[in-house]
Amino acid sequence: MTRPLALLLLAAAAVATALLPQALSPFHIRVLQFFFFAAATAVAWNILGGYAGYWSFGHTVSIGIGAFSAAHFGLIFGHGAGPAGMILPVLAGGAIAGLFALVIAYPLLRLRGTYFAIAMLGVGQVVAELANNLPVFQGGIGLFLPSPVPDGMAPERFYYYAFAALLALCLVISWAVKRSKFGYALLAIREDEDTAQMLGVATERYKIAAFVLSATLVGLLGAVYGYSLGYFTTPSVFRLDFSLNMIVFALIGGIGTLFGPVIGAALLLFLTNVLLSGFLDIHLMITGALVVAVILLMPGGILRAGATLPWKRRAKKEASG
Amino acid sequence: MSEIILEGVGVTKRFRGLTATDHVDFAVPKGSIYGLIGPNGAGKSTLFNLVTGYHPLSEGRIVFKGRDLAGMPIYRRNQFGMARAFQISKPFPALTVRENVGVGAMFGRPDRGAQAGRETDRAMEIAGITHLAARRADALTVGELRKLEIARAVATGPDLLLADEPCAGLNPFETDEMAQCLRNVRDAGATVWLVEHDMKAVTALCDRILVIDAGKRLAEGTPSEVVNDPAVISAYLGVPMDEDVAHA
Repeated sequence: MTRPLALLLLAAAAVATALLPQALSPFHIRVLQFFFFAAATAVAWNILGGYAGYWSFGHTVSIGIGAFSAAHFGLIFGHGAGPAGMILPVLAGGAIAGLFALVIAYPLLRLRGTYFAIAMLGVGQVVAELANNLPVFQGGIGLFLPSPVPDGMAPERFYYYAFAALLALCLVISWAVKRSKFGYALLAIREDEDTAQMLGVATERYKIAAFVLSATLVGLLGAVYGYSLGYFTTPSVFRLDFSLNMIVFALIGGIGTLFGPVIGAALLLFLTNVLLSGFLDIHLMITGALVVAVILLMPGGILRAGATLPWKRRAKKEASG
Repeated sequence: MSEIILEGVGVTKRFRGLTATDHVDFAVPKGSIYGLIGPNGAGKSTLFNLVTGYHPLSEGRIVFKGRDLAGMPIYRRNQFGMARAFQISKPFPALTVRENVGVGAMFGRPDRGAQAGRETDRAMEIAGITHLAARRADALTVGELRKLEIARAVATGPDLLLADEPCAGLNPFETDEMAQCLRNVRDAGATVWLVEHDMKAVTALCDRILVIDAGKRLAEGTPSEVVNDPAVISAYLGVPMDEDVAHA
């Protein structure tokens, strides 16, 4: 794609995002609000999982830590009023999530492949249990965050714009990472970590950086998600299905690509929440079947379908063999 | 050729009970092609892994460019001027040849910055794969992959290139090409340490040869010295049958 065309498309997307709520019902705005949130977490997950090849099965831990940190920040330093009041707690949520990732990165990132994935699953469970059962975290009785929504504005619109902005932020950062030397290092790590080391890539450092960056972004999102809930307990933010969402969205759309996670999220959320809303008893079954079909037909995700559809693969094999 | 770029003193590695290399000494002259040969299981790969830092030494020391390598992490060894070409090629399959080589150019010398592109082209030229630049690595033949492996290592700007059996499994034509490729690397200013199984390839190419067997140093010297060494002959060809029977 040429540069002017790409910029034009981006501008069009921005305008459409800004104007869309005028034309939609509150329900559909809420669907889009959740789409922006979920897509942004998948984009952030993709920096570690897609670029560096380290699949975290417990990334929801950063959502939980982000939300909890924002609420406790408010308890300690006082909650500010209005949209400006949420800035510091949200930043704190991102910072603490990133800090936590930094602490666990060194031991955990020595594990590779499935072992890292399972270890992250365990981390998610352990932190959720601690948040739930240690009285100091108050996860059992729940935490409050005051509504930052300005007077006269519908909450779903406020969060629609908030999550849209965060999705844009995640995309810009992911794009910057992908085209930088940092991104090249992550790619080399994903393709073959031993070789990357032998070629002078300080793999340990780059992996940790990717993990912390990814967790920080998800932590920011988790904090804003906490605000959107207003009141939450441990199970409402430490959600296993959020972890799975990030993986499935990236996988369906095209793992390791910039827009793949967004496309995967759009497809699956639109499907389950809108298209299949009339078939509530079977909608999850159809979604599951669709996920299986996409993985079988397009193992590289929708964005790489051009090269990975079975008949294209066969054509390529014949051409090269 | 008197300056020594890499020196090993009493290099020893024990895996539990097994002593894979046993007090091996070596001295690689700068600007040479240095061969390491030995029968299967002699400890060639272990010695290689000790030099490149995959295993820590049990005993002894390895000095590269005047510095003891003990405890130096793998990526730092590379940035310090040591590159390795793997026996089993490990390209980044989804990247093009140029991107593969580019990773080496970008990270091997972190201070290089904008020159990385030129280094990439130079490395591809030395290895003779410039015409494959846009090809994806998973579409290469075995011979091309080996050259990519060399190019990628050369792109990191090494003073010492360690090549692990670069000719294994190649046909005679490809073997000649690989020999030329290694001479190019040497002529471009690097020292080459070559591990080979095949005695013929090594004697044609190397300035000096180290022979090990069962983890021990058997002989060291110029190719003609080494091939005429009785210990080497018996290790490679075996002792004559009647003598063998007599000893048993």
